[in-house]
Amino acid sequence: MHRENSPASQIIEVNIDVPACAAEVGVRKICGGATCDFSDSKTSSKDAKERAASMRKLLIAVVLCIIFMSIEVVGGIQANSLAILTDAAHLLSDVAAFAISLFSLWASGWEATPRQSYGFFRIEILGALVSIQLIWVLAGILVYEAISRIIYDSGEVQGLLMFAVASFGLFFNIVMAVLLGHDHDHGHGHSEHDHNHGESNSDHSHHDDDHEHDHTHGIEHKDGHEPLLKHSHDISTANSAKKKKRNINVHSAYLHVLGDSIQSIGVMIGGAIIWYKPEWKIIDLICTLIFSVVVLVTTIKMLRSILEVLMESTPREIDATRLEKGLCEMDGVVAVHELHIWAITVGKVLLACHVTVTPEADADLVLDKVVGYIRREYNISHITIQIERQ
Amino acid sequence: MEDRIASYEPLVAETTPKFPPPRSSSFGDPHQQWNADYGIATGDRRFAFSRQQSFRQSDLPSPFPMQRSQTLRPHQLGRSDSSISMPPLEYGKGFGLKSSEKVTAAGVMLSVVRAIRSGNRPMKRLALMISLNVAYSTAELLIGIFTGRVGLVSDAFHLTFGCGLLTFSLFAMAASRGKPDEIYTYGYKRLEVLSAFTNALFLLFMSFSLAVEALHAFIQDESEHKHYLIVSAVTNLLVNLLGVWFFRSYARINIVYRKAEDMNYHSVCLHVLADSIRSAGLILASWFLTLGVENAEVLCLGLVSVAIFMVALPLFKAAGSILLQMAPANVPSSAFSKCCRQITSLEDVSGVSQARFWELIPGYTIGSLSIQVRKGADDRQILQYVHGLYHDLGIQDLAVQTEHL
Repeated sequence: MHRENSPASQIIEVNIDVPACAAEVGVRKICGGATCDFSDSKTSSKDAKERAASMRKLLIAVVLCIIFMSIEVVGGIQANSLAILTDAAHLLSDVAAFAISLFSLWASGWEATPRQSYGFFRIEILGALVSIQLIWVLAGILVYEAISRIIYDSGEVQGLLMFAVASFGLFFNIVMAVLLGHDHDHGHGHSEHDHNHGESNSDHSHHDDDHEHDHTHGIEHKDGHEPLLKHSHDISTANSAKKKKRNINVHSAYLHVLGDSIQSIGVMIGGAIIWYKPEWKIIDLICTLIFSVVVLVTTIKMLRSILEVLMESTPREIDATRLEKGLCEMDGVVAVHELHIWAITVGKVLLACHVTVTPEADADLVLDKVVGYIRREYNISHITIQIERQ
Repeated sequence: MEDRIASYEPLVAETTPKFPPPRSSSFGDPHQQWNADYGIATGDRRFAFSRQQSFRQSDLPSPFPMQRSQTLRPHQLGRSDSSISMPPLEYGKGFGLKSSEKVTAAGVMLSVVRAIRSGNRPMKRLALMISLNVAYSTAELLIGIFTGRVGLVSDAFHLTFGCGLLTFSLFAMAASRGKPDEIYTYGYKRLEVLSAFTNALFLLFMSFSLAVEALHAFIQDESEHKHYLIVSAVTNLLVNLLGVWFFRSYARINIVYRKAEDMNYHSVCLHVLADSIRSAGLILASWFLTLGVENAEVLCLGLVSVAIFMVALPLFKAAGSILLQMAPANVPSSAFSKCCRQITSLEDVSGVSQARFWELIPGYTIGSLSIQVRKGADDRQILQYVHGLYHDLGIQDLAVQTEHL
């Protein structure tokens, strides 16, 4: 920036770099740099807020878990009971699952780099996959433990202790499930849960304050989410119900905790049976098997959606045939080929295709129309169209 | 249509010399008519501007070897095919991950047997290994339960998990032969990368659990001399060494992956290798215990855990980076920036933006970018040039959006 002092007038030269975004007139199709679309200021702050809320939930869950686990370890060592220590080990696996989810949430917010041009959103999906594998491994370990309980059929297995530990674990898991699965929904639901927590033990009293915190945060989120949800409600053809867009990592942690509570129920039943009639040990094994299968079944839906994203398949909510038909019906467009729609993570969809236009059509106009149509109708944010003349 | 199919087979044969060309039937559906257009010789208007044809007509200065387009791997995937525009007969006939047909157990078994019989040699070997492992682990489990030995039961569980994973690898091998359809527009080859990732993940879990076991043995300090485990360990070792022999060309830690199957076979080989390392470690620990070395179990388990971790980590990173949509590892970023410079050096082009690349499977890269062009410039020439540039880098599938300023 320099000034030239001339007697007639003062000319001030200003050299400022105008960002490519600002220089564009009309529909913003161009952004500078590889990171722009996936770190838009509009979407990234919303993302960041969602992510911060989810991370806070998970952090609370991890802290509670660690506190509880140390209580159990101390109690188990003092009582010299293998059952309590085993349960503490299971809680350790809970901590591992939460840690994986937390890391995935945090890492998915990293800025895109030239080698990782789509940003790090995929880490969410891979983290959820690792979490679910962990659930499967743990279910297998539990079945193994049930079998080894049968083998060690001396009086080492005390039904009452098993029952007590399992019920404690169940209560804790239900608390965590409510904390994690708790989404920004109905206001009256919040007060209900407040009631329950008011009646719980004293060592969960601090939980109430954290919960309050979550509630207020939830309510302000609700307003921000309403228009987004309504829009997707309008455009999605198959979904008539309002779909809760729960973060996939929080959901996988929730599944983990849910699976643990289901298995706690199974162990409780087994412990009660062993306590009541110690010769019916086989029922314990059958119970464990059944409940393990139930846990695995709960993970199948999430596994399917993870698989669909990782296989770069067309997301379920988008009807590719209708899209292609809609594109072909535009004037100027002759054909559409090599249409690929895939998701980088649940909710962020990309599209790439080749559109053949008539030789006399205005390529820019057709491009604008096509991009506008796809953005409007299907809410796909990142579109690359190669226009080819016949 | 027949001549098109005939012209396809020799292409595949020359690119996969070791194994017989994959059958054109997709998994479990051999009667499905394969009428995907493999585009070069077709008179269909949709492919009027497909890359292969345009390069034949090009007279641009960029040296583009004509033969390469003929031997491109993408033909296996049917890349120039408009999979969405397939006739409605094809709807829902894709490989049944989303199929709504009723799946009976007998039907699944039949299709499994059919797939294995029609598979290539590694598939058959893998099926053989899996059946051996399943038989062995069931025997171990029953013996363990009836004689009351917990060690055998835990070993049997371990083996069962491994079998489950190997079955998933086998399934991936079979399913990845499926042709792209409306839902899976890129085909099913990604399943192989996914199975490689799952195998590597399981190996990492295993190494972690072995470390925990070593810690457990260290804390407890009473090593029960599980001599009855020796027999099972030796048998396990033999079975797994047989598996390593089957996949011996992949028995290295760092491999350059050229095709999708490379990753899958490598993961299977590493899996059996890790199992044999573990059995060898157990045998070694027993031997050291009889020699009177203290803490032998801890030492051996620790060594085995570290060894398995180091063996599994490179595959985990490679498979993970493909699943994370990372830019292709075999192309340095300087090559990408050089391409960008070459494009901007064209007189009509004012800028390149949003250049993104990712690997679908090892050896097949897909990309998209947008270029800003002066109004009135000739699109076709610029497109051909850009496609040629990136094709030299190995990027087969590119969508270029031209914006006129």
